[in-house]
Amino acid sequence: MRVSLGALLAVGLAGLQFIAVLAVVFSSYVTSERALLDHARDLLSDVGTNTIEHSRGFLSPARGAAELSARLAQDRVIASDVPELLEQLLFQQLQLAPQFAGVYHGNENGDFVYVMRADNAPGPFRTKIIRVNGDKRSTELIWRDDEFRVIERRLDPDDTYDPRTRPWYIRARQQLTTIWTDPYIFFSSQQPGITLASPVMDGPDSVRGIVGVDIEISDISDFLARLRIGSTGRALIIHRNGDVLAHPNQSLLKTKDADGTLRFVDIRQFEDPIARAAFAQVMENGVAAVEEETLSQFRYNGGTYVAVVMPPISEHLPWTIAAYALESDFTEVIKENRLTNIWIAAVVAAITGICGLALANFIYKPVRAFAVRSALISQGELDPSEPLPKTYQELENANETLMQQIAARRETEMEYGSTFALSSRGMAQIDARTGRFLRVNERFCEITGYSAEALQVMAISDLIHPDDPPFRLFTGDDGDPVREINQELRCVRRGGAAIWTALNSILIFNQQGRPLHFVLTMDDITQAKHTEEQIAELSKDLSNLSRDNTMGQVAAGLAHELNQPLTAIAQNADSALYAVDQMSAANPELHATLEEIAEQSVRAGEIIRALRAFIRRDEGIRTDFDLSELVAQTQRLVIAEARAANATMTTELEDLPPVNANRLQIAQVLVNLLRNAIEAVAENTEGERRVTVRAHRLGKQVLVTVADTGPGVSPDISLFTDFETTKPSGMGLGLSICQSIVQANDGRLWHERSDPRGASFRFTVNAAEMPS
Amino acid sequence: MGDSNQMIFIVDDDQDIRTSLTRALTQRGFEVEAFASGREFLAAYDGEQAACLVLDHGMPGMSGLELQALLNGQGSPLAVVFITGHGGVPESVQAMKAGAVDFLEKPFRQSVLIERIETALEIASAKRDALETRRALQARFNRLTAREEEIVKRMLTNPAEVSSKEIANSLGISPRTVDHHRARILEKLEIRSLVELVDLVSKLRGESASAQL
Repeated sequence: MRVSLGALLAVGLAGLQFIAVLAVVFSSYVTSERALLDHARDLLSDVGTNTIEHSRGFLSPARGAAELSARLAQDRVIASDVPELLEQLLFQQLQLAPQFAGVYHGNENGDFVYVMRADNAPGPFRTKIIRVNGDKRSTELIWRDDEFRVIERRLDPDDTYDPRTRPWYIRARQQLTTIWTDPYIFFSSQQPGITLASPVMDGPDSVRGIVGVDIEISDISDFLARLRIGSTGRALIIHRNGDVLAHPNQSLLKTKDADGTLRFVDIRQFEDPIARAAFAQVMENGVAAVEEETLSQFRYNGGTYVAVVMPPISEHLPWTIAAYALESDFTEVIKENRLTNIWIAAVVAAITGICGLALANFIYKPVRAFAVRSALISQGELDPSEPLPKTYQELENANETLMQQIAARRETEMEYGSTFALSSRGMAQIDARTGRFLRVNERFCEITGYSAEALQVMAISDLIHPDDPPFRLFTGDDGDPVREINQELRCVRRGGAAIWTALNSILIFNQQGRPLHFVLTMDDITQAKHTEEQIAELSKDLSNLSRDNTMGQVAAGLAHELNQPLTAIAQNADSALYAVDQMSAANPELHATLEEIAEQSVRAGEIIRALRAFIRRDEGIRTDFDLSELVAQTQRLVIAEARAANATMTTELEDLPPVNANRLQIAQVLVNLLRNAIEAVAENTEGERRVTVRAHRLGKQVLVTVADTGPGVSPDISLFTDFETTKPSGMGLGLSICQSIVQANDGRLWHERSDPRGASFRFTVNAAEMPS
Repeated sequence: MGDSNQMIFIVDDDQDIRTSLTRALTQRGFEVEAFASGREFLAAYDGEQAACLVLDHGMPGMSGLELQALLNGQGSPLAVVFITGHGGVPESVQAMKAGAVDFLEKPFRQSVLIERIETALEIASAKRDALETRRALQARFNRLTAREEEIVKRMLTNPAEVSSKEIANSLGISPRTVDHHRARILEKLEIRSLVELVDLVSKLRGESASAQL
């Protein structure tokens, strides 16, 4: 398919870049959203990771403190049975970490030292010491300030607390290692917390006591509340059993059982519906089963959310960090930006499209100008020599080539056109199919007598003479147009006059080999035909004359030859008669016989004379005629013989007056002399074979010479004598006939030797009497 | 017919014609000499003898007409009878114009020829006589001296001024000398008067003119 360069440029520069802008916009649209989502998930994942780390960091000091205290007690650095020392140790440990709610130690005996944070009433720290001695037990409460100074001290006789019954004690004692309890709501502070218990060993299998640390984990909820996850995002910690341990809104964590004890709320009943929607599905058979970090997406209440669930922090802390956030928190601005971007892109695309079109136009303009110019030149409305509009190097080269081609074609066309128009021959272009004239030149009009306009509506067949066989210009015997024609035929001129024409026609094909038109040349050969006919007639007359003359000459020769013996007979008869008469005895019979012989001889002579007179009936009519023309015509008659003999015929004719003679007879003399000359030069094995006819005026006569370059006439030959010849096929009458004819026309014919070789036969003929 | 006037020359290229004619004419008492061509005849003929020339018209080489013209130029005392095998009208006209006695077409009867020959012999005889007369007159003129000849020419060219005085004036000599010359002229030319002189000169010129044809 052919595509306009302009369209191509417009599409290429405007369309393609428009598409490119759209593609970029679309791509960024898609990829930015994905990037944002990835980013949101990363963010959530970070939140989870941070929370895990924070939780670890939050809980790990408790382990250090508990295990340190346990080891100190175990190594008896601190006598565990001295409550005052133990209290001091535990106090120090409590002060180490603010998240510690309390640190305590219980032993197998049931003794218990418990240092905890108080609510500044009456002091920031309170110590509870239970001493058991047999059945006796005492519980002392001591409030101290930050400097371990006693603020208040009193006894609590109602206390029944026994550490050995507490779950943390039982589990640590059983497992003989540090254990974490499941989170629970602290009895004293009613805050969620977790207890770490580390055994104080008394040998490999026995326990002396247990050190415990209470850690309030509400701080973790505070930490979660401080985390910013988008504008609506939340992070929470879910225990393996489904309890929600931490949530920015702490009030949602606790619920009161029917018996009045506080407990954590299960995720499935959690009052944060989004969190419930996000994480309820992680619970399988009542256990939060999370093996690895899991990202998910969900819809809630018309909003799209992303959520992440982290794997459990550790074996001891089977907590799952979960975070969710409204997707639009991350993508909202970008979506807005994206709309703006689309608008910007549309504007940019439009602007660059327009620029592209303008650029395409700018690039295409010289090409278009070039194309327009080429079209104009091809239609002949513009001269190729006009300067080329400013354009490209490549086009200039192309233009140069094109112009050269055009110039060459023009020249050819002009030459052809000139040849056509100015040709001295009639020329015509003829439609190959219809035979109509497409174009004719002036000469063609002259020949046919029709104007060019009249011929425009005519066909070649209109010109052909009706008596001539149909001119098969268009179709040959095979039905195809005839490729080449050379023919002489008669045409009818305007007005009806018949003319002889020589037609030559060539069929022109296009590059596909389809016939286009005929180029026909026409010559008017009427005059030539006329001349030809004249010559043919002359030739016919000459052959008749020649026959007559030959017969006449034969008769004359016979007469001469017979008359000699007849004369001798007559004379001898008369002599005998005379002798007989002189004799004395008359002999009438002999006399009569001799008389008869003599008389019959004379009679025979008379018969011959009569015969001669009968044959030579044509004494000829003398007329005035142009000798030059006759020389030319007679040369035409013998031209075939001259060609066969490879002889050259030339004429040297001066300005001759008309001559007065029997034209036909002079023609015969010329033909005879020319034939003799041609036969003479034909004997030449070397040297020039030339026959020259010269003529010039000589007084009241014209002297004609026929000279040849042949071997010349042998001196042994008696020219002008009847029946004497050197030619094997001749009768020897030619020259004598010529001589008779010339003499009959009051002229003379004679022979001369040519210089340096050859023979010249010369004769005179009377010039016509010029009217004075 | 005197013997000296019976000479006949025959010129014909045909041997049989020559033989038969020679035989016939000799039989009738003519003196006959035959030649095969014009050149042969010219080589033998002295130009003085009066004779009849029986001449063939159509011969190779020199034709009869050509020979006739040549002989006329020499002023020979010959009369020509042409015989021809194929004579045309133009040739016969030309021959007759040139003084031929006749133009006989072969074959012909001997009687016709004899008749023409006799005519020719008469003409030839007259020609010879005229030639001799002219020669005699010429001989008389040849006797004159240069001065006498001059005086004759003067008298012939100026017939009105023939007195001795007038002639003496024009020639620058004395009238008596002229008279003496005139007497010598009349004596040498064998005449008696000036009138006879004019007659003699006119006769000589006329003969001379015809002989020159």
